[in-house]
Amino acid sequence: MRGYWWKFAGVLIFLYVLIGGMTIPTKAGIISVIPGNALSGESLNLMITGYNTHFTECTELRAWLKLDSVHVVKSKTIKKISERTAEFLFHIPSVFPGKDKVQPLTLIIDNEIDGVFVQPNAVFITVNDSIAPDSSDWLLGSLENLHEAKGTKFPFRNILNETIRNTFFHVALWFAMFVLLILGVYHAIQYLITREYDHDILSSSYHRIAIMYGIFGLITGSVWAKFTWNTFWTTDVKLNMTAVAMLIYLAYLVLRGSSSDYDRRAKISASYAIFAFLALIPLVFVIPRLTDSLHPGNGGNPALGGEDLDHTLRLFFYPSIIALILLGLWMSELLTRYERLKEKILLKNQ
Amino acid sequence: MNITKVKDIFLKELSIEFRQKFALAGIFLFASTVVFLIFKSFNNINPREWTILIWIIMLFAGLNAIVKSFLQEKKETYLYYYTLFDPLDLIIAKLLYNFVFLCFLFLIILGLMGLFTGFPVKDTGLFLTGAAFGLFGISIVFTFVSVISVSESGNSTLMSILALPLVLPILLLLLKITAVSIRLLTDTAIMEDVWMLVGVDSILLGAMLLLFPGLWRS
Amino acid sequence: MKKFLSLTLIHILWIVPAKAQGDSLDFLRSTGKIYSVVAVIAVIFIGITIFLYRLDRKLTKLENQINNEQ
Repeated sequence: MRGYWWKFAGVLIFLYVLIGGMTIPTKAGIISVIPGNALSGESLNLMITGYNTHFTECTELRAWLKLDSVHVVKSKTIKKISERTAEFLFHIPSVFPGKDKVQPLTLIIDNEIDGVFVQPNAVFITVNDSIAPDSSDWLLGSLENLHEAKGTKFPFRNILNETIRNTFFHVALWFAMFVLLILGVYHAIQYLITREYDHDILSSSYHRIAIMYGIFGLITGSVWAKFTWNTFWTTDVKLNMTAVAMLIYLAYLVLRGSSSDYDRRAKISASYAIFAFLALIPLVFVIPRLTDSLHPGNGGNPALGGEDLDHTLRLFFYPSIIALILLGLWMSELLTRYERLKEKILLKNQ
Repeated sequence: MNITKVKDIFLKELSIEFRQKFALAGIFLFASTVVFLIFKSFNNINPREWTILIWIIMLFAGLNAIVKSFLQEKKETYLYYYTLFDPLDLIIAKLLYNFVFLCFLFLIILGLMGLFTGFPVKDTGLFLTGAAFGLFGISIVFTFVSVISVSESGNSTLMSILALPLVLPILLLLLKITAVSIRLLTDTAIMEDVWMLVGVDSILLGAMLLLFPGLWRS
Repeated sequence: MKKFLSLTLIHILWIVPAKAQGDSLDFLRSTGKIYSVVAVIAVIFIGITIFLYRLDRKLTKLENQINNEQ
């Protein structure tokens, strides 16, 4: 049992991420708002389709259209059609602050089960000057008595929907890959210093598992991309730079396979591994930050952390990284033991 | 490091290269054939194709040339060098030689491309600066990789396998800089990319200088 | 007859994948695209299985080597 605890820990944590990550529901959100535009001063009947909402079950359903922090309109009547759909009647005010002809309104819905949820730019209002001014429609002041969603829930993001759970698997794979690569490079340096063959075995095992994780990452990324961006492969820099990085590391595997002299192979592949890792740093961390990317943290998109990675996601994201690292360590340990055994047999035969 | 030693090795390499006129002529022939082939098959090359083609021709002609120049030296010669020179002097001289060689090759290709297809570059300064740093980076990668393949008993296939993915990031930056200098793209922050190229170059250079003495000792 | 058969075959080959693709994607997109998460987990699981299978084969080879020597 001794020496096995971290492997079990890895499996248990992964199980926790799997179960928790799949069973915790996402928060309520708004999928569609029809119609998407209206004139000022008219009565607007908004047909709203929600996601994970409880329109009929809840008792205190309220909705607002918000222009800015002080200009808000409350819905007059609400017709509940089903849990997911409802009709909201708004009287759009005829007078708008500011001079823009078209002004976007944010839809805010609140009830005691789902809490408050928001759709920015839900309705675009074309301001119509001809109607006589009547400013009484604006509900001035901030919204009050908003509810919190009950229980732990993952945040709802439009387009992403449930695939926000892929953060635990796809994104965590990259973090785990980097940890394994760093371990691999550490042992490559150790090999060059001490010239002990064992370090070469360790370095190669860590690298192999890291490359495996990298390939998983590319495949899972392209599966995810298919459902959010609707294509398997995009021109996104981060994706393509990672593909280049994977090519560099596949060349590492070719290099290891090409030589028969153990000593020379160890030395060359250790040098190449360090060189490749240094070439990787600008590739993955610096170049993508200079250009636009679909990924968070690049080209003006919000970075991971902040709003994108909220508290509930963190609850599973960090354990997932730890679990994948532990599983990776386990797998590379198996490879190491295999290589050591092979070396021993080879030495015995000589 | 010893400047005169570096200069000696550099000049020696140069004289070897120029003594073998056929090798030099072969590279020249390779470049002109490819350029002519492209000119005939495209007839009318637009700037976008020009950008891509010039760097692809450069990449393969350069790889070809450097593989050749490394394979012509025997293992015994390297053993002789080892007793004679400091590894740092040797690698710097080799690197400088490769850099000068690639620049020379680049100018030939540029001349040929200019002759056949025109010269669409608007911002020549940016183009040449980018090209110089890019070629320096490419020559670092090629030198490092050729050292590896020489210690792998002169395996030239290995060299192309290792070199191509490693030069890819440099090449991507170069393509972007070239595209901006042709005004295919407008990017006010293009100097950032140039600095990026300088950064990549210096990281690779540092890694090579650190790792080479260890590789050399065999 | 032959022509008819080949034509229908072409038809089937054309139509079936197109239809199947549409269906499977719709299925995978249903209930908030949850099945894409399942697909991602399946990729990781299949990958690890392939790793285990290859390691297994390597170990078998090593075992055979040892058994042959004795």
